[in-house]
Amino acid sequence: MNSPLKFSWQPELQHSSLVVGWSADASKLGAKVTDYLNRKLRGQSFCEIEPVDFFPLEGVTIVDDLVQFPECKFFLCPEKNLVVLNGAPPRYQWYKFLNTILDVAENYCHVQELHTIGGMVSLWAHTAPRELMGIFNSPQLKEDLSHYKLATGLDYETPPGQRPTLNSFLLWAAKRRNIPGVNLWVPIPFYLVPVDDPKAQRRVLEFLDQRFDLGIDFSDLDKEIEQQNQIIAEMRHNLPDVDKSISMLESNLRPSEEESQRLVIETEKFFREKRG
Amino acid sequence: MGIIFYKEPKLEKPDMVACWPGIANIGVLAIDTLRRQIGAEEVGEIEPWDFFYPRRVILKGGVLEDLEFPSCKFYYKRFENKDLIIFIGEEQPTDGGRMYAEGIKAYQMANLVLDVAERFGCQRVYTSGAAVAVTHHALKPRVWAVTSRDDLNNELKGYDNTILMSEIEGTANGGSITGLNGLLLGLAKKRGFEAICLMGEIPDYLSSAPFPYPRASKSVLEILTSLLRIEFDYGALDKMSAQIDDIIEGIYEEFSSEIKERLDQRKSIFQAKPETITEEDEKWIKEHIDELFKKGGSGDEQPS
Repeated sequence: MNSPLKFSWQPELQHSSLVVGWSADASKLGAKVTDYLNRKLRGQSFCEIEPVDFFPLEGVTIVDDLVQFPECKFFLCPEKNLVVLNGAPPRYQWYKFLNTILDVAENYCHVQELHTIGGMVSLWAHTAPRELMGIFNSPQLKEDLSHYKLATGLDYETPPGQRPTLNSFLLWAAKRRNIPGVNLWVPIPFYLVPVDDPKAQRRVLEFLDQRFDLGIDFSDLDKEIEQQNQIIAEMRHNLPDVDKSISMLESNLRPSEEESQRLVIETEKFFREKRG
Repeated sequence: MGIIFYKEPKLEKPDMVACWPGIANIGVLAIDTLRRQIGAEEVGEIEPWDFFYPRRVILKGGVLEDLEFPSCKFYYKRFENKDLIIFIGEEQPTDGGRMYAEGIKAYQMANLVLDVAERFGCQRVYTSGAAVAVTHHALKPRVWAVTSRDDLNNELKGYDNTILMSEIEGTANGGSITGLNGLLLGLAKKRGFEAICLMGEIPDYLSSAPFPYPRASKSVLEILTSLLRIEFDYGALDKMSAQIDDIIEGIYEEFSSEIKERLDQRKSIFQAKPETITEEDEKWIKEHIDELFKKGGSGDEQPS
């Protein structure tokens, strides 16, 4: 059987850490964070997973007049021994796909720690702080990260009718190979899911910056957060219904389903108009 | 990709009964009821992660404790004359959300099941499923039989309430059994096993209902336990049938008098050709059942 891996060059690493972000994530959080890391740390693509075994490839989807095609690329940020994976979640053969990732991590990059990124849709307002939650596959890693500002005590079972996340599947597969890993989850206000949430991006990036001593200057992201806050403030000023719903969320009250839907639609529309 | 064995029992000329979920879970309900009643013990399982997306994660104190997958388990039971191996798959492996198992994953799983049959020296493999039929829920479901050889067909003819598929009106030229309950049959034939599929009849108007149809499971078990020479108590299935019958009667009462009249004609089993429902009626019934139950489980095997 042919390997689904296509290397453009092979890195030489004695040890490294892997950060994984998926393109299909609330607010595109995973893709945004990994893109940011690659941009700031001059990540260089060295390998990709061929899509044919994992995606239907029945055609292409178009979003905002742009062709979408499933890509899964590994980048190396050489000065920091950081490997970044930016990928589309597979449609089938999940275990094979995740093991392909771990093959690269283990055999070519000697990865010693795995970090995955995920956005959780929440009923909080955008003004609320983004608390970072860690889900671990090893009690030791949980202990090692105990001095970071992470919520780490979650008890949870997937409710009937739902399925675990791909991040949980990856964490489990990594555990089978004795690769310690953590899923980093950030709550995303539900009305920001169709648009960006730079505040959530910053929260994850702050953690990674501290963990790996990356020395990132976040001034550009801070500017983006400020711009987004301005757009939302303007939206609240212009649309009283939207302002009412956000105010309710800020007071820990829940808008009706109809109000919530309207908030999502209006937010997406307003951002689209503002950003063109 | 492999099989985990918990033990290696020595078995005498075992038969294998294998089943995956399908329409109204007729086969799985029959086989699982059999497994429970005879007290079959777990002997091994197919590693599920190559075939399925996990269905449940369990976190304790922020640490991933377990990831559960649909199970694919083997059981065994020793009997005086002939031992038995049971395989029950909780889900059919599908690619990209398709309803029926097909392609490489289905082929791999069916072969793994038959590898176990071969390892324990099975000669015969049974599968079971549903036969969507022009019948009525008040009638006792018949069992449609399909086998891999003429002599097995002749053997099956000797059993009450059993009918070969070719004897069903409209199926003289054959039909198909989709999903793994069918694929296993074909692969078993290819690999030299005696292969028999027993399909319990379900009325066409109930085939998309999201509840089991234990009356058909009972019919299947009556034949299967005779073939296996196992004494069986149908009390639990009868109790379940009574509960489901009440639900079905409730739905039936909601049908229009025209549809009921046409369906009721099916109860006259001596008529040459049972009255079929029109496409319009069928659409109405399916929509009605969806309204009541928000459409749940869906099936695989559908002889046509």
